[in-house]
Amino acid sequence: MASGANANMNAVRETMDVLLEISRLLNTGLDMESLSICVRLCEQGINPEALSSVIKELRKASDSLKASENSTT
Amino acid sequence: MAALDQKSPNVLLQSLCCRITGKSEAEVAHQFQYAVRVIGSNYAPTIERDEFLVSEKIKKELVKQRREADAALFSELHRKLQTQGVLKHRWSVLYLLLSLCEDPRKPSPRLGSYGALFAQALPRDAHSTPFYCTRPQSLALSYGDRGSGGAGAPGGLSTTVGTSGIASLGVYSLNGPSPTPQSLLAGQPPAGGTQALGSRLAWALPVGSSPSCALAPPSLRPPLGPVALNRGVRPRRDGDPNAEVTEGALVRDILYVFQGIDGKYIKMSLSENCYKMDAKVVLCKSLRDTSGRLAELGWLHNKVRKYTDARSLDRAFGLVGQSFCASLHQELKEYYRLLSVLHSQLQVEEDQGVNLTVESSLTLKRLLVWTYDPKVRLKTLAALVDFCQGRKGGELASAVHAYGKTGDPQMRALVQHILSLVSHPILNFLYRWIYDGELEDTYHEFFVASDPNVKTDRLWHDKYSLRKSMIPSFITMDQAHKVLLIGKSINFLHQVCQDRTPPGRITPASQSTHTHKDAAELLWDLEGVFQGKIDAAYFDTSKYLLDVLNRPYLLLEHLQAMRRYLLLGQGDFIRHLMDLLKPELARPATTLYQHNLTGILETAVRATNAQYDNAEILKRLDVRLLEVSPGSTGWDVFSLDYHVDGPIATVFTRECMSRYLRAFNFLWRAKRMEYTLTDIWKGQMCNAKLLKTMPELSGVLHQCHMLASEMVHFIHQMQYYITFEVLECSWDELWNKVQQAQDLDHIISAHEVFLDTIMSRCLLDSNSRSLLNQLRAIFNQIIEFQSAQDALYRSALEELSLRLQYDEQRRRREAQGEWGVTAEQEAEEAKRVGEFQDTIPKMRSQLHILTHYYQGIVQQFLVLLMTSPDQSLRFLSFRLDFNEHYRAREPRLRASLGTARGRRSSNI
Repeated sequence: MASGANANMNAVRETMDVLLEISRLLNTGLDMESLSICVRLCEQGINPEALSSVIKELRKASDSLKASENSTT
Repeated sequence: MAALDQKSPNVLLQSLCCRITGKSEAEVAHQFQYAVRVIGSNYAPTIERDEFLVSEKIKKELVKQRREADAALFSELHRKLQTQGVLKHRWSVLYLLLSLCEDPRKPSPRLGSYGALFAQALPRDAHSTPFYCTRPQSLALSYGDRGSGGAGAPGGLSTTVGTSGIASLGVYSLNGPSPTPQSLLAGQPPAGGTQALGSRLAWALPVGSSPSCALAPPSLRPPLGPVALNRGVRPRRDGDPNAEVTEGALVRDILYVFQGIDGKYIKMSLSENCYKMDAKVVLCKSLRDTSGRLAELGWLHNKVRKYTDARSLDRAFGLVGQSFCASLHQELKEYYRLLSVLHSQLQVEEDQGVNLTVESSLTLKRLLVWTYDPKVRLKTLAALVDFCQGRKGGELASAVHAYGKTGDPQMRALVQHILSLVSHPILNFLYRWIYDGELEDTYHEFFVASDPNVKTDRLWHDKYSLRKSMIPSFITMDQAHKVLLIGKSINFLHQVCQDRTPPGRITPASQSTHTHKDAAELLWDLEGVFQGKIDAAYFDTSKYLLDVLNRPYLLLEHLQAMRRYLLLGQGDFIRHLMDLLKPELARPATTLYQHNLTGILETAVRATNAQYDNAEILKRLDVRLLEVSPGSTGWDVFSLDYHVDGPIATVFTRECMSRYLRAFNFLWRAKRMEYTLTDIWKGQMCNAKLLKTMPELSGVLHQCHMLASEMVHFIHQMQYYITFEVLECSWDELWNKVQQAQDLDHIISAHEVFLDTIMSRCLLDSNSRSLLNQLRAIFNQIIEFQSAQDALYRSALEELSLRLQYDEQRRRREAQGEWGVTAEQEAEEAKRVGEFQDTIPKMRSQLHILTHYYQGIVQQFLVLLMTSPDQSLRFLSFRLDFNEHYRAREPRLRASLGTARGRRSSNI
């Protein structure tokens, strides 16, 4: 059971590595943590379209937020 | 990591928000709220869950960025990923990565490019009027299009729903306060709203327990309501009829309806014969109206399609009908092209998913604008189809032509294009007909009809006719007649005249015009080129035909021969013939033999100027014996005949010849009267001196002379009238017309007119039957008078010779010295003389009766003449009664003369 869980963990890690590599290739700009969150969300059946749009909007929002902060400071 | 599945999506989302923005949970509350909203409202994916497709797209994307090596690397990694069984939704992750993918060299994704594509594609489709000829295979092509579209339909339909929702939602939320269209808010049915809210709440329930939700409930709740209400939370299952339909779904539906396929919400209603929105579908009024207006396009399309489908395989519909169908197909093909552009736009939109902004997406309003022109075109086509129902051939062309008379230049161009296609076969028929004389009209579409049962001898008159209904309205009646005549002339030359001149030689114009490429232009230039061509062909062909008839077939000579022989124009010949025939014709008709008479005819020809006539004409001259009725003499049955055959028989038809024979009979009879009267006069002159010795006869003879001169006067006037006022005048008219004739029909009609005048003026038509009867009676009186006078002379001469004998005998005896006469002889002589003298009053009374009767008839005749409507006949009556001799005797004549004069003066 423990070895099974271990193997599972390995497989998960490998998968995440592969996905990170792909993400890098595609220049998505996601780091390991956000990627893993996204993968989890996807695994729960979230619409990837919606998710991607959310991420884009979040980025835009933070960019504009930073910009406004820069201008104010 | 191990607890991959344990956290709820909201928690994950919140941490994602923190991670990306780099802020604390509290700071990202607003963003989180937004994220929940978006994710929650788009639960079902809008694309197909196909890992392979997504991976292919990624590779394509890499290749597009010119990173082929990376593409290979990716496929390696993807293969590795596939071997790991950890992820359940591999495609989903990959898709996410792909959506987040950014080309380092191209910072901004494409925007509104489809709008631009449409802007280009649409005008071209809207007024493309192709001049190339497409055959119905375009139909098969469009079927294919439609088939593939149909195959993609189920997946497409289920996936469209969210697209526009996401795109517009993103925009609205970005813009801060949501600028929801008023119409959407107003038209929102409350039931749909609660339903959507319910589903939304169901989704949010687990969230309620999480701390993040508790963190910002006041800010989360208020916007949730309106958003859920307005933008329509997409129904979880597409079959749910009570949920509101989004515009995207409607667009998809409409695109199918455009092709005549029932959509999901919009269906063909058979009872009302129109596309109707499903009444159960929840939809605001403006969208419902708009889609109703758009659906009209589908109805129009169906109408046109139904017509072409029904007709294109119907061979009996004919060439014109087929080309009409072909032109409709061509228009439909243009329409399908537009639809396919729309479809690809929709497809791209789906593939792009959220990436597209609202400016470039398909909306009903946009469709309404884009399909405006095609709709006008389809409307025109549908109207045409309605109008052309049940028509074919030239009639169809007329119908199309009638639609071309519109002020709308676009519509006119469309109709004219169709008309040019439709009239193409007609023009082909026409050119074949006027240049080659061939009629290949299997389906009876051309306006010239041919009757195959007519033999060649009636070819000109009966074989070809105009089908009035098939004359296209752009060809005038006059032109149609000319066209008919041209082809008829060519056929006549070929079949009757056995003229084998190639058609090109007859009409020099035909070579240049044998190229029919300018058929379409010809239609619009009717005044000029087309008319000119028809006229030229008409002129050349007719002239050639007349030349052929005049030269080898001697038409004019034959006409003259008719006048000379059948209308007694050749005086010396007729007179001589009568001289020769007189002994023969005096016999009973039953004892006449045609060969004897033919011999006499030949003698007469040889002895007179007729011998110098053309042998061709003399050959045709013959004797004919009419039907013999008991008691008739040779005079009654004798007739000259003229044989006509070949092309000449077209002018001298059987009816014409029978009229000629009737005229001949009448003229022959009149001539015989003249001849008889000459004999009577001769007798009188010869016998006058002889009978001077018999003074008791002088009264009778005087009576004879008076009657004879009355008759001579009458017959002279009649002959004058017939010769100069009837024959010569009509002949002069005929000759002028024949000289100016442009085609054979002119000659034929002039000839008909000639014969008609002769018939009516010679009292041979039905109107003047009473006059003719009177004239016959007069003629009979002349004959009777002749026999009476003959009898008188015979007995008188006999008496005279007896008396001379008696005197001679007496003188001889006296010379011999005997008694001249014995008492016996004297008594005998006296008795004979007494007897003869007794017969004189009898003769006298007979003559008196004859005279009385004759005068009665003449007076009757004059009365009829006076009341005749024909002016020349009234003038004849003045001539006949120039000294008012008859008027003095006949009170009726006086009265009618008076009224006639009175009428005339009142007219003046």
